Formats: sequence, C-alpha cells, structure tokens
Amino acid sequence: MASFVPTSPDTTEDQRLYTEARLVEVACLDCLAKVRVKKNSEHQTSVQWSSDAQGDCQEFQRRGQQPGRRDVHKPCPRMMASIDDAVRAGEVPIGAFDGY
Amino acid sequence: MTDSRLLDQGTAPNRYARGWHCLGLAEGFRDGKPHAIQGFETKLVVWQDSKGELNVLDGYCRHMGGDLTQGEVKGDEIACPFHDWRWGGDGKCKQIPYARRVPLRARTQRYETAIVNDQLFIWHDPEGSAADRDILPLQLPGLDEGLYTDWVWNAEHIEGSNCRELIDNVVDMAHFYYVHFSFPTSFRNVFEGHVATQFMESKGRPDKAGGYGSAELFLKSEATYYGPSYMINWLDVDYKGFETEVVLINTHIPTSQDSFLLQYGITVKKPEGMDDATANFIAEKYAEMFGSGFLQDVHIWKNKVPVQNPLLCEEDGPVYQLRRWYEQFYVDAADIVPEMVDRFEFEVDTTKANEFWQAEVADNLAKMAADGESVGH
Repeated sequence: MASFVPTSPDTTEDQRLYTEARLVEVACLDCLAKVRVKKNSEHQTSVQWSSDAQGDCQEFQRRGQQPGRRDVHKPCPRMMASIDDAVRAGEVPIGAFDGY
Repeated sequence: MTDSRLLDQGTAPNRYARGWHCLGLAEGFRDGKPHAIQGFETKLVVWQDSKGELNVLDGYCRHMGGDLTQGEVKGDEIACPFHDWRWGGDGKCKQIPYARRVPLRARTQRYETAIVNDQLFIWHDPEGSAADRDILPLQLPGLDEGLYTDWVWNAEHIEGSNCRELIDNVVDMAHFYYVHFSFPTSFRNVFEGHVATQFMESKGRPDKAGGYGSAELFLKSEATYYGPSYMINWLDVDYKGFETEVVLINTHIPTSQDSFLLQYGITVKKPEGMDDATANFIAEKYAEMFGSGFLQDVHIWKNKVPVQNPLLCEEDGPVYQLRRWYEQFYVDAADIVPEMVDRFEFEVDTTKANEFWQAEVADNLAKMAADGESVGH
C-alpha cells in the first residue's frame, strides 16, 4: 500500500536517485554520530540521520526526544561544523555530474 | 524509443492517512445541534452532549442509513430522523424507543476526539488503532492565557486535487516567488518522526501587489506539520517596520481522493498596550492576506496533474524525501520503515535564485516606471 503508486519502473529509480545517490558518510568530530551527506552546491546540504546516529548525538540527546517539540528544525552545530570540515577536506563531492 | 521524459501520474491511494485531523473550532459545535462534516468519503456527525463533551460518529445510521446530521440531539445522544434510533458518543446504539431491546451488534464508526488550540480533532486510522495522544499537535503556549486574539477561521472546499498537492508546498521554495510573490532568502526543511518542518525567511516582491507582494513585508516563518494534515505556522511579520507575531493554522480533511476541505485559522499575539478590537482587526487583515495566498495555490492545483516522478534541479527542495515521510501515514503501522521517520535535514541554496530574481524584479520595476505604472492594489 502506498499513498500514490507509480505506474512506471523509472519512477522507482528516480526515487532512489534523489534520496540515496551520492550520499557520503561523515562522522562527527565530537561524538560517535555518523550521518550521510549530499551537496548539490556549496550552500546546499542534505543530511540523512539514522536513529542510531540521533541516539549518539549529544546535542540532540540534551534537547530531548519529545515528539513535536518546536526546535525540531535546529541542526546540531557540532555535526554542521564536522560536515563543513569534511567538505573543506574534499571528502564530500559538490554538485551532480548531470545538473541533478 | 524517445528520450523525452514521461510524466508518471501514478494511481491515487485507496485509503486516507492515519493521524489526527482537525474538524474546526470546537466552539462552533457547541450549540446543542448536530453538525455535518464531509470527510474520508463519508459524512461525519458532530454534537455536544450534556456533559459538554464533543462526539463524532459516522453520519449515517447503521439501521437504514438515515442522515444523523439531520437528526436531533436528545439527551447525550444523537437521534436519527428516520426511526429515532439513539446513538451515543461511544458508538453504541443506546435506545430504540419502539423496540424491546437494542441489538448487541448495534455499533457504528466512532472517532476518538481531542481539543487542542480551541479546535476539535479526531483520530482517523483505517486499521482502527486506538488514538495516539502522544502525537497530538502542540498546544500554543499563551493561547489559553489570553495572550492571543480570537481565531479568524475560514474553510474552502478544494475540488480536483488530492491533498498531497498541499503537502508538497512544505518543500517548494521557488513557488513562493512565482505564486505568492515573495523572495525566500533562506529555506530549510527537517523531517523527523511524524513531524515535517519548513523554516523560511522571505521578503515581499516590490513589483507585485496581492499575495505576499510588497517591498515592505518581511517574514520569518516556521511551519510544522504535526502528522499528515495539521500545520502550525509561526510567522514573525515585519510590515512597514511594524512587527507582529502571527500564528497560521493550515489544516485539511480529505473528502475524496480528488478533493479536500481546507481550513485555515489566524491568531495574532496581542501587542502590548493595544486594545482587543484593534488586535482582532489586524488578525482579520492577515487572514485576508494568507487566504489570498491559498487561493493562488488553488488555481495552480486545479489546473495541474499529479506527478510521481518530479524532475528536479539543484535549487529545488527535497520533494522525494517529503513524500517518503508522508508515506508513513498511508502504510499499515507495522510497515513503517526507518527511512520514513529518520531525521532528514535539507538546506536549500537560494543564492542563484535570488540573483536571478533580484534582476528580474529590477527589470519589471524599470519597465513599469517607463510605462508610468505603479504597482496596482
């Protein structure tokens, strides 16, 4: 069951491409959390967390896991700094080869 | 074989989302009469019993299909206009005045209810689970303490669109410029668990009037869906240097796979020293503004087709991840997979878009000046 069922197999491939392709693992420099990161441009960043990583993140643990809290949009500054570091080190490729 | 891209319109779902759905301001149901709400391909009946509780049942009597919304509230029960069968808020038939006893199987579809932010919610789940009260939307701090104006509440039935079109707006950065006449200067999405958020800073387009168009309007907006259909949008508005804290509720109930009832409400934090009448007037003005914003969307939705395979550019928001998040409300609870609920963050790059838009607006203003026009109102 799905909210909308695609009618073409190519759509499933698009779903994979847009959600999974080019994700690169980045480890936090301050804790055990590891996330997967993708950058379409210098200022664009996607960060895919897992429940393990969220459990490891000291910042998120400190904030608490209450559902629906209002600060859900705030990133972990340590993880953001770690991602910036990895980008500077050239570990996260920037941009898609085909303009996405 | 051609390399032109096909538009996959997909097939609409065969169920409606699991979760809390808002039926409107609770006060409107408290007049001792039955009320009809279209939803989930049926009609619901809402009434207040003698203890002040609001009850929601399927609107059609299980006896011979009479329309309970045209019945009468008798004591705590809703009485069917056809044969006077009396239904209680727990979904059981309590009394059939002309019969010796009530059949044991006389139970109808009932919906568990909650009141949050002065609004009535029901729990809908095609699997029939008990309501999950841990994931009710946030109660706005200060609302019960009288720090906000009364709600200005509006409803609009949207025909010809699946409600997912409305959800897609969460990630759609560029439509704010083209449809709503504002420049997003900063745009960010986070999905986590049953919550999806859009964080945006924007300013009005000086070359447009209507919608959010205005050189003197700055918005800092934080919009969060609590589940599949109820969004709270906190807006710090700066209009001509006058700052207001506005809360916009955007909520819907699907009425079919091709229509939904959109409801939106506005309240404004009462500025210190301002009388209630003036504060209410400001709330009404903002309701008009955001109402016209929704109508701009509606025009697009009515004329577009559904797309399962959107083609994206690098400046677009994470529509695939948003739909993956939305999927959790349509699968059986046992089939929710981690990708649907794991935290995902997306920062949109607005630099290229803003460079182009600034130039386009400057160009439009120059043309208008040359033609001796001013921005129409």
